[in-house]
Amino acid sequence: MPDWQERIADDTRPSIRAEHELRYALAAPLIRASTRWCDLGCGSGIGAAAALAGKAYAGRALLVDREQAVADRAAAAIGRRRAVALAADLATPEGVAQVRGALGDRDDPLLVTCFETIEHLDDFAPLVALLVELAARPGATVVLSVPNDAFWAIENPHHTTSWGEGAVEELRALLPADHVVLHQFALNGSAIADPAESADGSAAFALAPGVPSHVLLAFGDGAEQFAGAPVARVVQSDVEAQRRWERQRESDLLYYATAVKALEERLAAAEQAAAEAAAAAAPAPASDDEASDAPAASGHA
Amino acid sequence: MKVAFLLNDLQLSGGVGVVVQHARELVLRHGHDVTLVLVREQEAAPWEFDGLAHLHVEGLDDARRERFDVAIATWWETAYSLFELEADRYVHFLQSFEDRFYDRLTAERPAAAAILDLPVSYVTEATWIAETLARVRPDAPCLFVRNGIDKDVFRSPETLDVRLDEPLRIVVEGNPDVWFKGVYESIGVVRAMREPRHLTVVTGDASKIEPGSADAVVGPLTHREMAALYGSSDVVLKLSKVEGMFGPPLEGFHMGATCVVAPVTGFDEYIEHGWNGLVVDWDDPAGTARALDLLARDRRLLTFLRTNALETARSWPTWEQSGTFMAAALEKIHRDPPPPPYAGARQLVADSRLALETQRLLMHERNEYRRLAKPALRVKQTTAWRRLKRLREHPAMQPVWKLMRPFTRRVRSKLTG
Repeated sequence: MPDWQERIADDTRPSIRAEHELRYALAAPLIRASTRWCDLGCGSGIGAAAALAGKAYAGRALLVDREQAVADRAAAAIGRRRAVALAADLATPEGVAQVRGALGDRDDPLLVTCFETIEHLDDFAPLVALLVELAARPGATVVLSVPNDAFWAIENPHHTTSWGEGAVEELRALLPADHVVLHQFALNGSAIADPAESADGSAAFALAPGVPSHVLLAFGDGAEQFAGAPVARVVQSDVEAQRRWERQRESDLLYYATAVKALEERLAAAEQAAAEAAAAAAPAPASDDEASDAPAASGHA
Repeated sequence: MKVAFLLNDLQLSGGVGVVVQHARELVLRHGHDVTLVLVREQEAAPWEFDGLAHLHVEGLDDARRERFDVAIATWWETAYSLFELEADRYVHFLQSFEDRFYDRLTAERPAAAAILDLPVSYVTEATWIAETLARVRPDAPCLFVRNGIDKDVFRSPETLDVRLDEPLRIVVEGNPDVWFKGVYESIGVVRAMREPRHLTVVTGDASKIEPGSADAVVGPLTHREMAALYGSSDVVLKLSKVEGMFGPPLEGFHMGATCVVAPVTGFDEYIEHGWNGLVVDWDDPAGTARALDLLARDRRLLTFLRTNALETARSWPTWEQSGTFMAAALEKIHRDPPPPPYAGARQLVADSRLALETQRLLMHERNEYRRLAKPALRVKQTTAWRRLKRLREHPAMQPVWKLMRPFTRRVRSKLTG
């Protein structure tokens, strides 16, 4: 069963959380270099806080979410003195105007992040117009992301619009011509690490304390060299093969369920016909007078 | 924002339906003031499009007295009236390259092509149109807005109705009189099938379909009736030669039907061979019939294609989403500076020259034929010929002419080559 948890929280599936944090990590150098940062659809700020990796943000952050309490949590995660939490509905021109007003029209370096937000908006036209307008200011940069949910058959009930290759092309036509496109890929991987060091967070990849998939043991003269930095290998997930496999399974289930049902109906009909034939073939309990005159049963059903 | 869509009429057609849907979304969800401007005198009552009641419809004379933020031509002929309206920005909503609808030697063909040279912004509905336009008119601003689907009307089933033993249910739709729709070709393909099938042809005029060539001939149908028909069908067969966004198979996808199509422009917007449909070769009726026979025999494959067709449909935008992109596109066009007035001028001059050369060639050909026909024309002007003609038309002479027909036919054949 899919778990449609749309807000990133502490208990969010690690793969989802990793892809969320990676988007913020990508933006982190620009966030730190900007005197102002606006995070639209900030959620509870987990990704943003992870991107800043515990370092204090020197600029001013405007954190926008539809719910004030959630935006407040994000402000707390980043540091209340530097962050302003704003509740605004980005699906409305009024909400977008609130953001515009909060940002003012200063021309100092500004970074706007808007990750996984547009697909939640009934009307994203005012927001896209705002993003384009902000990006046109000197020293301003906008980074936004949309999911490729067209790739999956299951509809996400939290998404009000559908975002696949076509929708991305439509969106790109609205952006400045020199925009940059990056693709985010899902990876599968494995890491080997000293269990004592894996939890300290110093590695390039986060290894939370947990259940390992395998245990490796080394001994002898060279065993010590294995106690160094953890190693990891990742490969891109074959999402296309997975998609084909899932659709084949879904359609086969439908097909065979129907085929089995049809066979069962035929079997039932055959059994009934056989029973009727057997009943017809059985000698009818007849009276002594009729027995001699009754014609022989034909056996035809 | 005050928007005018220019239309020839409001008769039933896919292109007009798309414009009405966009106009409706702009009014109801984005608060724009939209007018449908009919540029021709109307001879027939408008088709009952859903949502038409929400729209303001007026003629060109009334529209000339107004001022619009954006005026949009929706068909090449409507572009002739585009600049008669006062507007901040002029747009062409390009649903296809419309010159392709006409034969090579018709006057409409170069005229429809030359419309693409106007200094306007473009909005188009298919990737292939946007890409082609970028090559033809690299200077022209072009925004991309796909057509949505009315998911209340084309309401996808929760689960697919798998059909194991019934004849393959095939739908062919389109106007048989329009050469590029390939309706007769599609009917011929179904007739060439060997496996059991049931063909329904949807057309505005049933008399155009030879009796007995289809199991059912229906139409014209409303969108809801069309959706119901697709819902009870397995395959949408479409062998068109020209398409814009190629909507009918997508509507079929929403109702759980797969498709067999030729690789017409627009097919690759959403059709993937072997995934959600079958793409057959051009002019290959035997191969197309075999593809349909395969689907009739292999119900597991048919179910796979139908399942994926439904998945493709789920990811297709609604009219609400599409309308949002249209609103954003028009707002951007209105916000951005207009294209320079000389944009397309070079292409316009080149197209004019091409039209001139084509006309010159036609005139040359005509003069050459006239020269060749001169002796025959001279004979026709003689008194003897006129008498002969009168004699030919005389009722008493008809049996004689009938006897002479093989001879006269041979003479005529020799003369005309």
